[in-house]
Amino acid sequence: MFVSDFRKEFYEVVQSQRVLLFVASDVDALCACKILQALFQCDHVQYTLVPVSGWQELETAFLEHKEQFHYFVLINCGANVDLLDILQPDEEAVFFVCDTHRPVNVVNVYNEAQIKLLIKQDDDLEVPAYDDIFRDDEEEEAEEHSGSESDNGSEPSEKRTRLEEEVVAQTMKRRQRREWEARRRDILFDYEQYEYHGTSSAMVMFDLAWMMSKDLNDMLWWAIVGLTGQWVQDKITQMKYVTDVGILQRHVSRHNHRNEDEEHALSVDCTRISFEYDLRLALYQHWSLHDSLCNTCYTAARFKLWSVHGQKRLQEFLADVGLPLKQVKQKFQSMDISLKENLREMIEESANKFGMKDMRVQTFSIHFGFKHKFLASDVAFATMSLMESPEKDDSGTDNFIQALDSLSRSNLDKLYHGLELAKKQLRATQQTIASCLCTNLVISQGPFLYCSLMEGTPDIVLFSKPASLSLLSRHLLKSFVFSTKNRRCKLLPLVMAAPLSVEQGTVTVVGIPPETDSSDRKNFFGRAFEKAAEGTNSRTLHNHFDLSVIELKAEDRSKFLDALVSLLS
Amino acid sequence: MVIINRYKHANQLLVGFENFPYAEIHIFVLFFLYILTRNEVKSGGRSDLIPTIKFRHCSLLRNRRCAVAYLYDRLLRIRALRWEYGSVLPNALRFHMSAEEVEWFNHYKKSLATYMRSLGGDEGLDITQDMKPPKSLYIEVRCLKDYGEFEVDDGTSVLLKKNSQHFLPRWKCEQLVRQGVLEHVLS
Repeated sequence: MFVSDFRKEFYEVVQSQRVLLFVASDVDALCACKILQALFQCDHVQYTLVPVSGWQELETAFLEHKEQFHYFVLINCGANVDLLDILQPDEEAVFFVCDTHRPVNVVNVYNEAQIKLLIKQDDDLEVPAYDDIFRDDEEEEAEEHSGSESDNGSEPSEKRTRLEEEVVAQTMKRRQRREWEARRRDILFDYEQYEYHGTSSAMVMFDLAWMMSKDLNDMLWWAIVGLTGQWVQDKITQMKYVTDVGILQRHVSRHNHRNEDEEHALSVDCTRISFEYDLRLALYQHWSLHDSLCNTCYTAARFKLWSVHGQKRLQEFLADVGLPLKQVKQKFQSMDISLKENLREMIEESANKFGMKDMRVQTFSIHFGFKHKFLASDVAFATMSLMESPEKDDSGTDNFIQALDSLSRSNLDKLYHGLELAKKQLRATQQTIASCLCTNLVISQGPFLYCSLMEGTPDIVLFSKPASLSLLSRHLLKSFVFSTKNRRCKLLPLVMAAPLSVEQGTVTVVGIPPETDSSDRKNFFGRAFEKAAEGTNSRTLHNHFDLSVIELKAEDRSKFLDALVSLLS
Repeated sequence: MVIINRYKHANQLLVGFENFPYAEIHIFVLFFLYILTRNEVKSGGRSDLIPTIKFRHCSLLRNRRCAVAYLYDRLLRIRALRWEYGSVLPNALRFHMSAEEVEWFNHYKKSLATYMRSLGGDEGLDITQDMKPPKSLYIEVRCLKDYGEFEVDDGTSVLLKKNSQHFLPRWKCEQLVRQGVLEHVLS
């Protein structure tokens, strides 16, 4: 059921208990976790934090810990499946689920006792009504039985008429029942067909903190990073992002208004968050401007930087802005101050001439000390790269811990390390995209486009994890839309496969919805993959919380794709 | 005679001692040579060997001093073990201690316990807890290796698996933090 008063029904319930937190492996979950941890530490709530990266890990961890806890909080996992069915908990276990995955499973919505959803109901949820899906079957069966019993003790002629009436009545009931069930199947199919994401969990947690008047600037920053993480990974629409930025901007000015006043300004060492209408270039303040222009998907796709012609256009663009090439290739911090002064406006003007209307985007930045300034997207990229870094990861949770640490202000070295990893990742992404487009690896299978990365591709190890592969796929689709002349192909979705493990012969397969201007980011590949796998008995593993990412045995690839083609056409 | 008595004492110190056979051998050899030379001097009348005797005497004294310093340092470390590990030492450590050292440790334990009981009224005061002034009642700890179940105050237990983080009362975690199973996370 949906929790209406987060404070009374969630926080005050767990405040005197010991809680187990299951946290999924994405930026938004990490940020929500940080905020919740800060609240718990403030109130001395004993908790245990267990990182999980998939359904199997969630089940294993739950089995290990279920004896010791009654209250479980799941962050960014668990809302879109029938939790009670998967976890099989005891009667007293209570689950608080704060998840951005939609649609929320109907069992979770209508279970009053054990599942409490920390989800705002003003999100467009469109949950089907109770009566359309659930029905008391017991009454019906009792009526049928009593009907058949009572005609034993009556006379033959009456019995016959009554029997006929009863048979007619029963047939009507059965027909109604079948109609109801068919309608139910349709409703559920429509409801569960498309996957999408709702409000960031970090923002939900920040809201809870604000309601209790325990919100701090740090928590606000984490909420900002969580939201930006969702936007960078294209999980929410532009409209929703702008709306949420507006909400957060009010909080930012509430916490940081002292900085605008010259007389009472805080010292440079204090944390300051400020609203920025800044360039969309990824990591540009920690890189050189040229590198950033080449490796941000937005600009690389529109300039078509995989071709020689595209490179020339980039040079023209830089000349138009008035930036000498030598300056642009330096580190951003060492660029001439005279060039940096009106950089944003100049770049925006020139970008408009070259067909890029949204060069600037609303975001936030954080300052502390003279040296440390970060945009929200910088931190989001750094955390993502840390979490999916290909470095040796024994238990699978080392990366999670690194990424979690990097969000604290006292671990700036980890954040900088994350920025370096993010740069490598972005570069590798662009190079892979360029090679895919130049060698025409993206082929149309009919209802969708398909691209498969070969084993020997450079940096292939960076793309075996789901978020990195999703990012690569989305950027590839965007670039492909700009590179192809075929109007029909521009509207197709993309299915991307990359090798996961050579020894086991598995590949990761990701499905990306089609790229349109007004896309609502709804992804139907989750269900499509399930059906295709069932139909062909392919050996798949639907382990990730995002149902549109699966693992597949390489040998079953062709029959799986064939099934998918026939399903979607 | 006095010299011989002194060396007999050093010998006794070393007899129960398996730990530095080389020093032991060195001292025995020197002692042996010393005896030989002394006999030479006494019976053979070779008084030119007296500087040799003096030299060997000084070497023996220095070796004894090193041995005693080493033993004293071990004693100090064993005392620190009581503060670090508590009253029960892990078997790996006990394997490396000699019988006399174990006995000394037990004596130290007993005298520390008597002292602690005499402080703070009836129940006594455990001064081996909270060696640094605590900043908060509860601390955030991260598990560095798989430890298994760990009991908390209200009888329930927590499963300590690698890379899980917990927020627990400070006094419960201190032992494990000192042993290196848990790591205090500063935010």
